[in-house]
Amino acid sequence: KDKSAASKDSTPEGAAKRQEHGAETPKQQLLDIIGSMKVEVSYKKKLQQLKASEKKKQAMNKLEGLDSEGSVTQGIPEDTQGVKPLNPELVKAASAVASSLPHNKKQTESELLAQLRRHEETTDKQKKGGTIDLRNVISEMTIKRQSPAQRSARISGRISLQLDEDGQRIRPERSSAQSMDSRRSLKVGKRLNIFTKASTEPEHALKTVSSPTIWDLEFAKEVAAVTAQPPRNGFEEMIQWTKEGILWEFPIDNEVGMEDDAEFHEHIFLDKHLEGFPKTGPIRHFMELVICGLSKNPYLSVKQKVEHIEWFQKYFEEKKELLQEI
Amino acid sequence: MAAAALCWALRAARQVLPSPCPRQVRSYYVDWRMLRDVKRRKTAYEYADERLRINAIRKNSILPKELQEVADKEIAALPRDSCPVRIRNRCVLSSRPRGVKRRWRLSRIVFRHFADHAQMSGVQRAMW
Repeated sequence: KDKSAASKDSTPEGAAKRQEHGAETPKQQLLDIIGSMKVEVSYKKKLQQLKASEKKKQAMNKLEGLDSEGSVTQGIPEDTQGVKPLNPELVKAASAVASSLPHNKKQTESELLAQLRRHEETTDKQKKGGTIDLRNVISEMTIKRQSPAQRSARISGRISLQLDEDGQRIRPERSSAQSMDSRRSLKVGKRLNIFTKASTEPEHALKTVSSPTIWDLEFAKEVAAVTAQPPRNGFEEMIQWTKEGILWEFPIDNEVGMEDDAEFHEHIFLDKHLEGFPKTGPIRHFMELVICGLSKNPYLSVKQKVEHIEWFQKYFEEKKELLQEI
Repeated sequence: MAAAALCWALRAARQVLPSPCPRQVRSYYVDWRMLRDVKRRKTAYEYADERLRINAIRKNSILPKELQEVADKEIAALPRDSCPVRIRNRCVLSSRPRGVKRRWRLSRIVFRHFADHAQMSGVQRAMW
């Protein structure tokens, strides 16, 4: 409150002095308004002003010879050595603002003038060397722009390629053109084999040691036991369970563990296995019924069916003497 | 004699084969009856095929009766524990022979215990 009062005291003095100078142009009216503006000093602004005062001291040390002593009133201050002359209106405005602020007016004025000079310098630089910078910026932007566009193209290309392969190859030319355009990434890299069964590729690494020794196995087990961290979340737990075999692998494969390479005719037409039996008689009749039942059985593999028939063969051969008595 | 008794005691405590799974593993069966049931299941599994084939010869109207009688004798000569009829579906946790629900392999008491503690997935108290 004291500072605001002080500012009020200073502003009427300044206003009076301005009026003394003479004709009131609109610019002077603006300046009067600026001068008569009250400054509400808050704690934050005090801190800012303290910081600003420190900066001003530094600026004062850097800049040379600002003769603003005794010139609280208006007036074009003298130019510093080797610096462009500032716009007199800006200077007037700076001095008015400085006068309105409660702190050391000389310092504020000098600081504001220094800032104005810096702005002028930066604008001059932009005017001179602006086009070159812009060109560089634009060229840089073009280079960078390619990658996000390329990435989207790559993703779309990948999706389209997979669809083509899974379904039908509608347009292989276009896909190849896309891969050529996007330089690298479409057909490079290992297949993940998520949706198609992994074809067992021959291992490229030649193992010099034919079979790993027991010590190697033990070491591998030890390493696995030590490095096996408890699962951090549900996903890792599910991964662990899948590895152990507790959880099935998704997408569910109905033929897991069942590798029956035999064709359907090997399951159904089992007459060729009946060659060891007599061609007539009850045994043949019995075996034909057995074969009829086996051909309708989807749960046994071909091997098991053949074993079944062979067991019967063995059994009847052992009982041949008995059978001949009958 | 003492050594034999010790051996029998050890056998009751059937050790599970050392496996790499880090979780707790039950290494004892609940009681001797459960152990015997387990033995019967194992032998029944081993002799299942033979029993099926010999029975196919026996339950037959085509083959001569003499052959079937021989087959009868053969099947009777198989170990007694190999017949599946001797298997009793006991409760897996309490070895209770009666009141066992097939779907869960648990006796009614254990089932109720777990269901009330909300440890049975999809099981709710009936109310209608």
